Amino acid sequence: MPNIAEPIAHDLLMLLLVIAAGICLITLIAFLQRWQQIRYRHYVHGLRRKYRPHLAKVLAGTADDREFEVLRKLPLGDLEILADPLFSQRKLPDSQVAWLAQACAELGLIGVWEARMSKGRPLPAPSQAGDGAGLPIDHLVTRHLLRAKSMRNLGRLRYRASWPALVKALDEHEADIQLVALEALAAIAAPESFPVLRERLHAIIQKGLMCPWLPRLVETMSRFNVACAPALLPSLRHPNPRVRLYGMRILRTMVRRHASSRLGLKLTREVLTPQLADLLPTALATDFSAEIRAGAGELVALLADERATPTLRELLFDHHFLVRESTLSALARSPRATRSMLLEVRDCLRDPDWRVRESAIQTLLSLGREGRHQLYQYFLTSRDDAPCRQIVEVIERTGLISALVEEYSQGNIGIDALMLEYLAGDTAPLGLSGILRTLDPEVRRKFLDRFLPYMELKARFVKAAQEEVQPDFSLQQTLEFAPYVAA
Amino acid sequence: MNYLRVLFEGCFAAFNFVVLSYFFLGNGIYTVLLLLSLRSTWIHAWQEAYQGLDALRYSPLAPGVTVIIPAWNEQNVIVNAVSSALQVEYPNFDVVVVDDGSTDMTLDRLVQRFGLVEMDGAYHPDIPTGAIRTYYINPKLPRLLVVSKIRGGKPDALNAGVNLCRSPYFCNMDADCLLERDALLRLLSPIVNSRVQVVASGGTVRVLNGCEVRDGRVLKVGLPKKWLERFQVVEYFRSFLYGRTGWHLLGGTLIVSGAMAVFHRASVIEAGGFCHDTVTEDMDMVLQLHQWAADNNREIRMSFTPDPVCWTECPSTVAMLAHQRRRWQLGLCQTLWKHAAMVFNGKYGIVGWLSIPFHAYVEGVGAVVEFLGYLLVPLGFLLGVVPLGLLFLVILLGIVYGGFLSVGAVLLGELTHRRYPRLRDLTTLLLLAVLENVGYRQLVLYYRFQAVLKYLAGNRRWEKVTHFGALADE
Repeated sequence: MPNIAEPIAHDLLMLLLVIAAGICLITLIAFLQRWQQIRYRHYVHGLRRKYRPHLAKVLAGTADDREFEVLRKLPLGDLEILADPLFSQRKLPDSQVAWLAQACAELGLIGVWEARMSKGRPLPAPSQAGDGAGLPIDHLVTRHLLRAKSMRNLGRLRYRASWPALVKALDEHEADIQLVALEALAAIAAPESFPVLRERLHAIIQKGLMCPWLPRLVETMSRFNVACAPALLPSLRHPNPRVRLYGMRILRTMVRRHASSRLGLKLTREVLTPQLADLLPTALATDFSAEIRAGAGELVALLADERATPTLRELLFDHHFLVRESTLSALARSPRATRSMLLEVRDCLRDPDWRVRESAIQTLLSLGREGRHQLYQYFLTSRDDAPCRQIVEVIERTGLISALVEEYSQGNIGIDALMLEYLAGDTAPLGLSGILRTLDPEVRRKFLDRFLPYMELKARFVKAAQEEVQPDFSLQQTLEFAPYVAA
Repeated sequence: MNYLRVLFEGCFAAFNFVVLSYFFLGNGIYTVLLLLSLRSTWIHAWQEAYQGLDALRYSPLAPGVTVIIPAWNEQNVIVNAVSSALQVEYPNFDVVVVDDGSTDMTLDRLVQRFGLVEMDGAYHPDIPTGAIRTYYINPKLPRLLVVSKIRGGKPDALNAGVNLCRSPYFCNMDADCLLERDALLRLLSPIVNSRVQVVASGGTVRVLNGCEVRDGRVLKVGLPKKWLERFQVVEYFRSFLYGRTGWHLLGGTLIVSGAMAVFHRASVIEAGGFCHDTVTEDMDMVLQLHQWAADNNREIRMSFTPDPVCWTECPSTVAMLAHQRRRWQLGLCQTLWKHAAMVFNGKYGIVGWLSIPFHAYVEGVGAVVEFLGYLLVPLGFLLGVVPLGLLFLVILLGIVYGGFLSVGAVLLGELTHRRYPRLRDLTTLLLLAVLENVGYRQLVLYYRFQAVLKYLAGNRRWEKVTHFGALADE
């Protein structure tokens, strides 16, 4: 060691100096970064405070020429700084979007953004403004960033004319530009762009392109209005099963969004076109892909077609659990269709898959009194432990047990009362005790006044039956069903 | 005597080679990770300016997520942790708290705070676990389910949570953490935007000490007052912002995030669920997933975002720090040994060729090498083998290089959001980044060394860290 110490020491010293220089450089960069941020923040804060009243009037639609004149005098960079939070933060209300779009057009911003989007001129430095009030643009911010922001802004404004350029941007190499373009297309949702996106989808899937944004493309297309659904016909008829699958996902999501804002929605041949309405209960409901069949079931439940009910009946007994589960969930959302299939839904309580059983329970509960009574009847007469335990869980989880207790305390008779007595006596001790603890004292008292005598009587008869000979099943049954029989 | 001296010098020269290789290999790779992370984090910060999270926030196709919080004797922190989970902004999520047989007031506090009542539940396990004793719900809080089970350890509690999860993804979160409101959005974003199945996604964990917390939310970010906690801030920056980011960029992720990570439920079940044979089940799960994917010819990805997604209280006393670091080191040793077959195995790609060997040599064995180096090099000087100047240079080099890496981590912290707001904080952090290597690093090294010895001696006991500071419920 000693004989090589000197050259090593020299090398180590050089290395030390280089590293120390590195530390100083990083420290300098960190402080510069922070200083720039502080300076920028102060500048932006000042700018926004000064022009907030003008911007507020613009968004409210009460801005006049004077407001626009003041804003027009600002450098382009400052205008964008003012507008940026409106595009980068939460969703704007529709009313504000309209006014903002008008204002951006008035101030020339839309023209700038369109030019940038088609790889036009970059942002001029705000310091070119006459009063020198602008902040020198950050030299590290490239045209790429500005293009992306331009696309985003046009999307937020739902500027329809920009959709061709946005579709063209999907061909670019940068993944984040593609994603921003997709987001903007989804926001604009121009019906003319939908077939173009569909062809993109086909091309990506068929050519096996490793496209980073396929999930986002699917999501983008799902956000279009359901009026564009007929344009999915080529996808749903496509020989490639993956194309059909993605087409179904898009259609399903479109319809779900549409249905969520329209109670009792029915998909008619006018909405979907006759070809698509025919395809759903036929080819798609019998497709070899379980997910496609599941999607078809969901849509057929909303279909105004005489083939809907027979198709749903078949799907309820499909060999794949996903199809059965999905069909049941769809029936929960369309009570009208479900009422005619009540018994089939009840039969699904015996399904071997626990997810299907749970879906059946939820569907029955969604049908109101009629569905609940079917559920209780099954519960009270069934010897299947697994479904019964699930029924108890769902009843407790949805808070239905509280409602049952309150009705019982008010003297309600019938199958609801019988169900509660059964739950309270045997199968739902924890749930009921928890509910009783949190009940209104008066309600609790009334419940116990009614329930306890019943339980005591029951216990005495059971004990008597056990002490004598074999338990008299008919006696027990009579006892258990006494309130029901009395009703 | 001459013979002994020659023997000692020979051994010392051999050990020097080991130390130097450890130093240059370890720090060389750390430097590469730092440079990769700098570029990636910078780009990520720009992308934030126009991408945002609204696409996922309002998406009808956002995949469902279940936040699973395993808890054992966490009465001081559990309410805040669950409150933060319930406040998350995500279109489709629910929360499952698994009380793993706590003997303190953990369950009682949850019941009281969230108005829970018992429920008769039905359990459908895909992974075998200990029995569930009781379920608790509040129908007015449909997103929350609390279950109490017999004690089985954290992996068992996690598996129970996975069994109860009905979403395609779950997020396991430690009970001593607070979630950022957009945590799930940030963790799921890389998942929904990926063409390849992402089976695990992690984010940066930040130190909660010194921050202002109310109702499960971090209102104001601040540096802790204690120096021990401040050093840990820098350590967390280093570990997450270039350690994990860098490995993610290389495709060699071994740990997504200790305190919180999102996993794909079906993949975890196929990989066998969380195992009981290590104390760092999160790292073990990641390796299991790599193994499962390679064995089944599945193309998967692990994802990591440099954004802060959750806050955790770091140990505020030396004793608690010792428990924690020993546990981490023990877990590292256990996990790497368990998956030793993956080392230099081409089947596992970068993970097998680079990531696991690096962690085994630099992080695992390195604790012993470095610790012995601190003992033997001065000894060499005392015996006249090492000149004073060289000794001084070697020690200084270690400190300065460590400082360089830590200062780089602080710069990375400047690029992410939720940074420490005051300029004074930045100055303190930069100073700490250098000072950390004089005393604190050596202290942690000592605990890591202890853990390696304990592992070799067969002591695999879990050492619990108690929390009573910033995260404690009011």
